[in-house]
Amino acid sequence: MIDTNLSRRTFLKTSGALGALAAAGGGIAAADSLFGSGVGEAIAAGEDKTTWGHCAINCPGRCALKMHVTDDEIAWVDTHTSADATFDTPQARACLRGRTYRRWANGPDRISYPMKRVEGTKRGEGKYERISWDEAIDTAASKLKEVIDKYGNEAVYVPYATGVSATTARPFNRFLNLVGGYLNFYNSYSTAQISCITPYMYGSKGNGGSSLSSGEDAKLILCFGSSPTETRQGGLTTHYDWVHMREKTPAKIYMIEPRFNDSNFGHSEEWLPINPGTDAALVAALGHELIENGQTDEEFLHNYCVGYDEDTMPEAYKGKNMSYKDYIMGTGYDKVEKTPEWAAPITGISADRIRELADEIATTKPVYVVQGWGPQRRSNGEWTSWAIMALPCLLGQVGLPGTSNGTREARNSPTLTSLPAGKNPVETSIPCFLFTDAIDHGTEMTAKNAGVRKADKLKTNIKYMINYAGNCLTNQHSDINKAHEILADDSKCEFILGVDTVMCDSMNYSDIVLPDLFRFEQHSQIATGSDWGYIITGTPATSPKFERKTAYEMASLMADKFGVKDEFTGGKTEEEWIRELYDQSREKDDKLPPFEEMQEMGVYTREYPHIVSMKKYRDDPVANALTTPSGKIEIFSEKLLKDTEGWELQDGDTLKGMDTLPPVPVYIPEWEGVETTTKEHPLVLSGFHYRGRIHSSWGHLDELKEVNPQEAWINPADAEPRGIKNGDKVQVHNDRGKIELLAKVTPRVVPGTVAVSQGAWWDGDTKTGKDGVDKGGSINTLTTQRPSPLSKGNPQHTNICDVKKA
Amino acid sequence: MEITFAEMPLALFSTLAPMGAGAFVILAIAFLTAKLDGDALKKIDRFTVIPVAFVVVGFIAAFFHLANPFAAFGSLANVGSSPLSNEVAVGCAFTLLMLAYWIWALTGKMSEGVRKGFATVVAVVGIVFAFFTGMAYMIDTIPSWNTMAGPVQLVGFALLGGAALGVLVLSLAGCGDALKAGSLKTGTLVVLAVGLVLGIGAFAVQATTASSIENALYNGADLVTSVMMIIVCGIICLVGTGVCDVFAVRGAGAGVMVGVSVGAAVLAIVGILLMRLAFYAMQVSVGLSIL
Amino acid sequence: MTQYAFHFDGTRCTGCKTCEMSCKDYKDTDLGIAYRKVYEVTLGDTKKADDGTFTTTCVSYPLSMACNHCDNPACTKVCPTGAMHKDGETGIVSVDADKCIGCGYCHMACPYNAPKVDREKGHSVKCDGCAERVAKGEKPVCVEACPARALDFGTVDEMKKTGEQANIAPLPDKSYTDPNFYIKPSEDAKPAGDAAAKVVNPLEVM
Repeated sequence: MIDTNLSRRTFLKTSGALGALAAAGGGIAAADSLFGSGVGEAIAAGEDKTTWGHCAINCPGRCALKMHVTDDEIAWVDTHTSADATFDTPQARACLRGRTYRRWANGPDRISYPMKRVEGTKRGEGKYERISWDEAIDTAASKLKEVIDKYGNEAVYVPYATGVSATTARPFNRFLNLVGGYLNFYNSYSTAQISCITPYMYGSKGNGGSSLSSGEDAKLILCFGSSPTETRQGGLTTHYDWVHMREKTPAKIYMIEPRFNDSNFGHSEEWLPINPGTDAALVAALGHELIENGQTDEEFLHNYCVGYDEDTMPEAYKGKNMSYKDYIMGTGYDKVEKTPEWAAPITGISADRIRELADEIATTKPVYVVQGWGPQRRSNGEWTSWAIMALPCLLGQVGLPGTSNGTREARNSPTLTSLPAGKNPVETSIPCFLFTDAIDHGTEMTAKNAGVRKADKLKTNIKYMINYAGNCLTNQHSDINKAHEILADDSKCEFILGVDTVMCDSMNYSDIVLPDLFRFEQHSQIATGSDWGYIITGTPATSPKFERKTAYEMASLMADKFGVKDEFTGGKTEEEWIRELYDQSREKDDKLPPFEEMQEMGVYTREYPHIVSMKKYRDDPVANALTTPSGKIEIFSEKLLKDTEGWELQDGDTLKGMDTLPPVPVYIPEWEGVETTTKEHPLVLSGFHYRGRIHSSWGHLDELKEVNPQEAWINPADAEPRGIKNGDKVQVHNDRGKIELLAKVTPRVVPGTVAVSQGAWWDGDTKTGKDGVDKGGSINTLTTQRPSPLSKGNPQHTNICDVKKA
Repeated sequence: MEITFAEMPLALFSTLAPMGAGAFVILAIAFLTAKLDGDALKKIDRFTVIPVAFVVVGFIAAFFHLANPFAAFGSLANVGSSPLSNEVAVGCAFTLLMLAYWIWALTGKMSEGVRKGFATVVAVVGIVFAFFTGMAYMIDTIPSWNTMAGPVQLVGFALLGGAALGVLVLSLAGCGDALKAGSLKTGTLVVLAVGLVLGIGAFAVQATTASSIENALYNGADLVTSVMMIIVCGIICLVGTGVCDVFAVRGAGAGVMVGVSVGAAVLAIVGILLMRLAFYAMQVSVGLSIL
Repeated sequence: MTQYAFHFDGTRCTGCKTCEMSCKDYKDTDLGIAYRKVYEVTLGDTKKADDGTFTTTCVSYPLSMACNHCDNPACTKVCPTGAMHKDGETGIVSVDADKCIGCGYCHMACPYNAPKVDREKGHSVKCDGCAERVAKGEKPVCVEACPARALDFGTVDEMKKTGEQANIAPLPDKSYTDPNFYIKPSEDAKPAGDAAAKVVNPLEVM
């Protein structure tokens, strides 16, 4: 069954790629030995064993990998499956990406040895030479000592990274906490805006949405800016849950999106096209119709909510026309009545259609409102996501079967304890999106201008970073060209330690690179889930190849240099930690089987009942008061105004004429959006998640790229005047750069908007100036580093551009 | 463009082999109608290496088209049901006949009667071979090919290109005068004319058919448009072949005879090859066959 | 004889290509070769009126397809060597690599884009229904891989129960080859032979 020729071919391909690399490397004699194929010369026909492992990359799926291993090499990747499975059988089936792990693990791009940046080359050039582990750890540790001595621990930083998730996936944080700590970050690149705003509205606890399975009990489902099957692919995660729920539910579904996404496939009746970044305008107009027609749930709004209308405004804000209703009816704020006629040209949805939809949501119950994380990843994302959450409140459709609270759907998971990180002696924290600012001018960053927390300002710029399994230095950060300028200058951040399996673009900024093992090449465990919960307990598929090590070993080596190895390891190996942590988890969850059984079964699944968001609060709002200041749902947030008092705002951060951030879920036109296109850049550019990658992970694999080409989706109405045909090579450009990719000319995207999937690997000759062309088509060549106003998060879908034939 | 040149080995095969086969039509007419002395025959037999080489090179090109040429003889397994097996069978029969004829002729021991008969048989089987080469593409799931216009155009190209090769062989053998007189001249002109009409006419019918078909991946009209320049160049070359050869048999002086014949043959190769490349680019399946 | 067939549930498929990639991994096929492919069919318009509002008639759906192991295969009919053959027991159509000369006629003739010549291997390659897995009681790797449970494989009588034979565009009329492919179409799916239903992702199905 396994063709013996194939391993030979893989080997040959490897040699070929190495040859190319050596040629491109320009005089790096060691290039051949930096990378290596893990594939032996011949894989015998017989199978030796199968092992369980899990996908560890930033998708809640973390699906099961059943590795078929022959002669200590992965022969092929199977998953959690069986021939007799039905539609309802819970199986954590890996997605298309999981099925390519052999090619990644054994591919020619795999890092096999410690390396250092070739002397005389600049960061970003990507020229490395092999060194010993001793030299690598010596250098990394002595630079760290130097930086701590000179600048203090606040100069040390572990940037946001999403390449590895497991119970033992944060060993470097544990190590750093033992040597004085590091500058913290808050937020994520996934959910900065919605995670920031949700606690203002619903409190910080119990604010999650209903499970997707609860959609089965709904009659109408409104899904804003979400593609569940693309963002979380796999057989027992949201992908499966969506398909499953859709088949079971009697509800009519609306997918409100600028793009007819893959979750719509075959179900076009669900697509309600909208301009990107305008959801809050739609909600305001829907609210206007509900109010006009007396269809709001006044009882709910008065008993459970604050700030919907004058009656429930906090004392200090009464009589100031500052309620959400005042915003909607034009009696407050911008004094514009949010009629369907007002919203139509903004949203692209006709006034008649808005009225129909308002009537439908008012007369159908239960209504399940859910949003993805696309609407919030915008310059107005805090208010956009807030408005979507306000919609079910206007309808009183919260806390009842078949409803949700307008946030993203809830996921279930058994709880596992992670490797304790210890306590970080440094308390200061920055928004993760602003790390390049903190490298460049951290000492100018304050609580009021940059969201610095637990300190008024930063004491030092970032001088040392450990980038573990992360591509957020450049590729997944924003404005790649600008990030390059900051990172390439090693007088700013003086040392970067990179740890990864392949040289993604961010790794090319490392001073030292350490070769990581995949989680399926080591002992690893993870708990996750969606409608179902599951735990995967993995054992190494193969022995460690070449000089690759686990992150735990690397951190131990670093700790040893600081004399804290014993404190770091606690005298335990990583496997022993996993076992001990699991046993701790079992003490709190007696349904969990013994560790040996978990290892044997590989995948442990657990059924959960439908989660109804905020049911307790609905049942008894007094006994189960929310953790908001009022204990109620805050459609007006006094806390937001207080928290942001004195903040320095930039043009476009708030409504025209206001000098504070809006305390109600208003529609703010994006800085670069449908209402702010220019003659030079007349199109809106929005990102999306692509089936062929999770963020940038897998972005280098030719097998995936072949059938998931990097494309700019463009409507025929925009393509035709530009002479662009389907499949043409085009350039998408704006003031920050140019990317080159293929045009997908399609009615699946609204006119005026270009959609480019995020995560493609930057690929160009130069990052200096905007004249360089990124032929990889990374959207972040075009995105801005200006943070959204409240959360200081990444507004990566807020862009304008133009497109031309390349 | 990529699509157009993808089938180069097959296009070369279906250009060269039928041309070589067609040359025997002119040779047969020459043997049947012209008075040729022993010396002339000897020279003709020697220059018959040209059509023989065309057939052989054609088959070699076809071999290169195969991913596994060494197993090629297996292709005779499905004679009767597979049109390709049929083509290969007829092709083999023709090639063996042709080689037998040629080797016998080269020995100088072939009587005039045998020569006339054998050459005629080779010529007839050669045309049948060209027809079967066309038949090989009559696949019912590819309607743009599944028409008699395919085999007919190949017969046309075999006659036209074969005539050009035949005239070349005769002029190289110093039989120019024989070509310019009597039934051989008439016969040659008729073969040229029939070849031109059948080749271009049947091609036009086929292109029209292809234009009217579309599937979920390709629009036949677009495919034809994309190769229109190639078709136009091909037709110009084919007409040029005719013009050169008409000039050759109707008045070219001895000095330019060979040159004109070579020109005609080259134009024929180029013209037919272009038409064949265009043919392969006009593949429109009933379903999802990818070019 | 037990004729096997594939089943495709168009109401579930999300076009994710896990089927295709799992097959590529299991069969270890190179770039340029995939035994299962996912076609995107998209029709209609999404337009913006002068007042800035949208109207859409866009429909779009995926079709995942490998070899349909037809009753009357176009590929075996044109195969000159008999290398392409239909198994008498299972009805699975596969290539005898020793016999195949790699002439490509099966590739041309098949209206389902199933066989392809692998020049490196020197013969045609295609889906063989994971015959060795099926013999062990497993299903083809693509079927067991599908996160959405949109694929199935079994006896033709079983597969017929919830699907109609190859009845949606971009497929040709089933009469050409009598494919063993049964489909539960989505609302969006157009009937087989609908001239407007184009494959819009040709690069992805080469």
